[in-house]
Amino acid sequence: MKRILTAFIAILFMASPAHAETIRLLMETVPDTRYIEELLPEFEKQTGIKVELEVISYNDMHAKLVPQLLSSKGTYDGIVVDFYWVGEFIKAGWLMPLDKLVKRDGFDTSVYVPKLTDLVGKVDGVQYMLPFYNYSMAVIYRKDLIEDPKEKAAFKSKYGIDLKVPKAWDEYWKQVEFFTRDTDNDGKKDLFGTVIQGQRGDCISMQWANFLYGQGGRFHDKNWNPTINSDAGVKAMKAYREAVVNFSPPGSESFCFDEAANVMAQGKAYSLQTFNIMFAGFDDPSSSQVVGKVAITSNPGGGLNGGWGWAIPNSSPNKEAVWKFYKWVESYDIAKRRALLGGAPTQTKIFTDPEVVSKRPYYPILGEILAGSQDFPVFTYTTELVEKMGLEFNLAATGDKDPKAALDAANTAYRKLLIKDGKISN
Amino acid sequence: MNTKATSELVRGDRRFGLMLTMPGLAVLLLVIIFPLMFAMVTSFFDYTLIHPNHDVFVGLDNYREVWDENYVGTSVWVTFKFVLASVVIEFAIGFSVALALNSITRFKNFYYVIFLAPLLINPVVVGLLWRMLLHTELGIANYAIGLIGVDPVNWLGDANTAFWTVVMVDIWHQFSFMSILLLAGLNSLPKEPYEAARMDGASSIACFIHITLPLMRPVIIVALLLRFVFAIKTFDIVFIMTKGGPGTATDLISYFIYRAAFFGLDIGRASAMSIALLLLVLGLTVYLYRYMASLR
Repeated sequence: MKRILTAFIAILFMASPAHAETIRLLMETVPDTRYIEELLPEFEKQTGIKVELEVISYNDMHAKLVPQLLSSKGTYDGIVVDFYWVGEFIKAGWLMPLDKLVKRDGFDTSVYVPKLTDLVGKVDGVQYMLPFYNYSMAVIYRKDLIEDPKEKAAFKSKYGIDLKVPKAWDEYWKQVEFFTRDTDNDGKKDLFGTVIQGQRGDCISMQWANFLYGQGGRFHDKNWNPTINSDAGVKAMKAYREAVVNFSPPGSESFCFDEAANVMAQGKAYSLQTFNIMFAGFDDPSSSQVVGKVAITSNPGGGLNGGWGWAIPNSSPNKEAVWKFYKWVESYDIAKRRALLGGAPTQTKIFTDPEVVSKRPYYPILGEILAGSQDFPVFTYTTELVEKMGLEFNLAATGDKDPKAALDAANTAYRKLLIKDGKISN
Repeated sequence: MNTKATSELVRGDRRFGLMLTMPGLAVLLLVIIFPLMFAMVTSFFDYTLIHPNHDVFVGLDNYREVWDENYVGTSVWVTFKFVLASVVIEFAIGFSVALALNSITRFKNFYYVIFLAPLLINPVVVGLLWRMLLHTELGIANYAIGLIGVDPVNWLGDANTAFWTVVMVDIWHQFSFMSILLLAGLNSLPKEPYEAARMDGASSIACFIHITLPLMRPVIIVALLLRFVFAIKTFDIVFIMTKGGPGTATDLISYFIYRAAFFGLDIGRASAMSIALLLLVLGLTVYLYRYMASLR
């Protein structure tokens, strides 16, 4: 027995060579994670550091991260941070400032798009994260429909303006109305101008923000006074409700982004306000019936600016090794190869890199979308705001609550959270 | 044998019994009593994920805040409706199925497998599955009812329909639990009363009302109580399928508490809600048990 035990322990030691460094990162199941998994063997070969990615769905990430971040020595050497969580994580003191490492190794942080550095890079001048990928929101539309001469003529005679890639909100909204129709005359609409992702919480809050920006509205003024229930907000909410009733498939008040994208992919919609990272999927024949027929453009008035950042938690067991990994994954060469695979870049030059553009001609447009994007409230209680606001928006979208009343309630909820966070005093 | 020796024997037995149960009790203490106590203590403190410390005692503030929350009343009401609807319907279907399975002799195992299958599926998978099946434009449910000329149904987008959709999915998922419990009860019923009643010319309905129901009472009580407690805790289906929406139509109390903890980051308030819910469920369970046991 004793001999068996000894042999067993010996095997255990041999199975995990003590000299090999291993780092663990918690990541989300998104395409950008997959591209990194593809390139990982190169890093492991170069440095001898083994990288283990624990890849889980977004819904489970926050609940899984928090206990690890609270402990003095967590399981994860590195983490990725959604912009939602930035305020909370910084306030709780969970992230390690990277400035010393950046300075020591001469890592150039000016390569990043400034909008993303503001979002998932620096907080109050301190570098806590390196921007990993961006998911700013945009309008994906059917270019085959918009370029069709018959449609162009019909649109012109109906509205008196040309049918072209929309630049202003009113122009876009006319197109949404125009393309909502019953194509086979069976009495039921089968082409929709847009697809709403109206599910309560995160889904509706994200998409509704684009409607707000479209009307020139903002979530707060420069002194953090909430302005959700401004005239622009009410106009945005009315347009959203109008879309649910008239221009979007029935049931879309319960859709999230994947269900909305499916409708678009089945060729049943003219346009969709969604995350830019969804675009590549529409050109994939295995999941889309509109391959080659879609294009992407900025949301009129700017879309929501979203992104993820690489960070090192204070509870990280191996900060140096994970920093080595970040330097590699964010080097121009690897960042570019991720973009070539379809990744959503964060470094300014990659959007216009000739090799990238020749393989993915729409990347310069992605750069413009990002540059024109608008900020969402980032503070300690962003996640709670999204939930509370998302409920009110959903009540208005389903017609259960008057738009103004819903926005008043959302505004009050926002104000309370800002007071709790000390951003405003009353 | 004198009494002293007997009591020595009894004491020895007791000590041995205690020794055997010790490890189990220790585990229970660790995984049930400790978290419960922790939650109870935390509910009196300003304990948030940002400052996870028991250093600011706030007394009953967390409990008072629960009442100030918007929509908490709605959530309790929705939970009440959900529990009532799902338990009653599951009982009706579950009992019918149990009676049917009890009286057949052929292919019994085959039916077992079919009815048990939903119960074996993870609730998260159940939610995702139904969400796809019920997609208004692309789901198979609307396609199927379209074949017989029924208009498409807005399964999860309309407030009233969404509530019943969630109830329906829960029934689909859970009714076989009821069936299995009741079937076990039916199997163990004595045959003699039925034979005697038959001799006296009682119909099968009379047999059911006067023999099956009274004999089954203890099993029915247990089945209903268990499902009642489980139904109050329902979380996964709502979390996956509706996020409590549309509006507040499916906002069950468990999801409400989850939001306070993981979106609001306020563990103190979430603990207060959990403890309040625990007391409520405990009270209701005791009351229901007594009430049902007193029925003759």
